Amino acid sequence: MSTPDNLVEAKNLSVKYGSKHAVDDVSFTIPKGRVVGLLGHNGAGKSTLMKAMVGLAMPTLGAGGRLTVLGLQPRSQREQMLQGACYIPDVAILPRWARVQDVITLMSGLHPQFSAERARALLKRTSVRLTDKVKTLSKGMVVQAHLALIAAIDARLMILDEPTLGLDVISRKAFYELLVDEWCDGERSVLISTHQVEEIESLLSDVLMLNEGKLVLNISLEDMDRRFVALSHDAAVADRMQAAHPLLRYRSAPSLGGQRGDSTTVFDGTPPDELLKLGQRVRPSLVDLFVALTRKPELDRQHF
Amino acid sequence: MHTWDERQPIYQQLADLLAAQLLDGLPSDGQAMPSVRALASQYLLNPLTVNRALQTLGDEGLLENRRGMGLFVMPGARERLKATERQRFLQEEWPRLRERLRRLGIGAEQLQWETL
Repeated sequence: MSTPDNLVEAKNLSVKYGSKHAVDDVSFTIPKGRVVGLLGHNGAGKSTLMKAMVGLAMPTLGAGGRLTVLGLQPRSQREQMLQGACYIPDVAILPRWARVQDVITLMSGLHPQFSAERARALLKRTSVRLTDKVKTLSKGMVVQAHLALIAAIDARLMILDEPTLGLDVISRKAFYELLVDEWCDGERSVLISTHQVEEIESLLSDVLMLNEGKLVLNISLEDMDRRFVALSHDAAVADRMQAAHPLLRYRSAPSLGGQRGDSTTVFDGTPPDELLKLGQRVRPSLVDLFVALTRKPELDRQHF
Repeated sequence: MHTWDERQPIYQQLADLLAAQLLDGLPSDGQAMPSVRALASQYLLNPLTVNRALQTLGDEGLLENRRGMGLFVMPGARERLKATERQRFLQEEWPRLRERLRRLGIGAEQLQWETL
C-alpha cells in the first residue's frame, strides 16, 4: 500500500459528546518517521482524539476541515485504514483464559498484515513465553506481549493510549526499548499518550499538547528548544524576570554543582538581552511547558 | 533510566557521553560504531537525537561514514580526543581544582597518587 508523507492529517477537527467539545477544533499533521507524544491531563481529550483517528469516535469537521489517516477516512474507509494502522486503547485487554500462542493464532486469523513469525521473534525479547496463560502474566508482561503482538502488524502508524500506565519503572523501560528498537525505523510513526512527561521527553520527536480539548502546543522538540527560553537565575532577580511576562517561574531543585541559580524562568520567545545576561540559559523541559500551558496546580514543581 | 540534565541539549550530552566512551576505547579506532537504532533503544532516545549526536562527533573528525557500512571510529580519534581532553583539564578543571585544594589546605604531599 502506498502512503502519503503525512500519515495523519487533521484540520479543524472536533469531537462532541452531546454539547460538550471533547476535542475542540484541532489541526495537526503526523509525518512519517516521527515519535509523537500526546500530552494532557485526564479529560483533556487525548483518548477521544485517538478514537477519532481509528474510527471509533465521530468527528465533527468545521468548514474545510478534514481527518485522514494514511490518506483514508477513519470511519468510511476503516477496514482499509486498519491494514496500515494499529492501536492499543487505554482499556486494552488480552483474553485471560488464552495462552500467548493462542492469541497469535487468533491475530493471524483476524489481521491480514499480522505476521505470526514476527510476533514470536518479538516475544523472544520479552520474558513472556508462548505457553504462558495470559492470566498468569504480570501487568508489565501483558503490556509487553500486547506491544509485541501489535508491532508484528506490518503497519505504518501505531497509536498507543497510555501504554505504560500502572507499570513499574523496569517494565516501562523494557516497553520503550522494545518500541524504539522494533518499531521506530525512520518510516513508521507512533503516537503515544501519557502523563509521564519527563520519562518520555527524550524519546519524542514532536509534541501535541491538549488542554480541555484544545491543542495548546504542536511543535517538534527541535523547534521547542529554539522557541522557548529557560533561564536559570538567582532568586534576587526574580522580580525583574517576572516583569517580562514569562510563561512560568519556579524554584529549582538544589544542584550539587552549586553553579546554577536557584530559580528558573521560562519564556515563550527570547527575552530582552538585559534579562538574558542575568541568568544562564538552560534547556526548556517539556514538564515545565506542560505545567505552564495546561495550568493544573497539582503538578510536582514548586510554584510561587 | 538514563537521566539527562537541563544544562545542554540532549544530543550534546549524548555526544559527550559517546566521546567519553571513545576515550576509553569503546569502540576503538577503526571499529564500527553501534547503530542509531541500538543507541536509541539503549538510551531511550529519539533516533533523530542520536543522529544529531553522531553528526556532531563526525563534524569533530572522530567518526567517518563508510558508504553502505555505517559509521566507524576514525583512526587516531582516541589520541586526538585525549589531547583535547588533557588540554581542557589543564585549562579549565585544574585551576578550579587547585583553588579548591588551596581553600581546603590540602598539599601535594597529602594526595594519594596510587589507587588503593
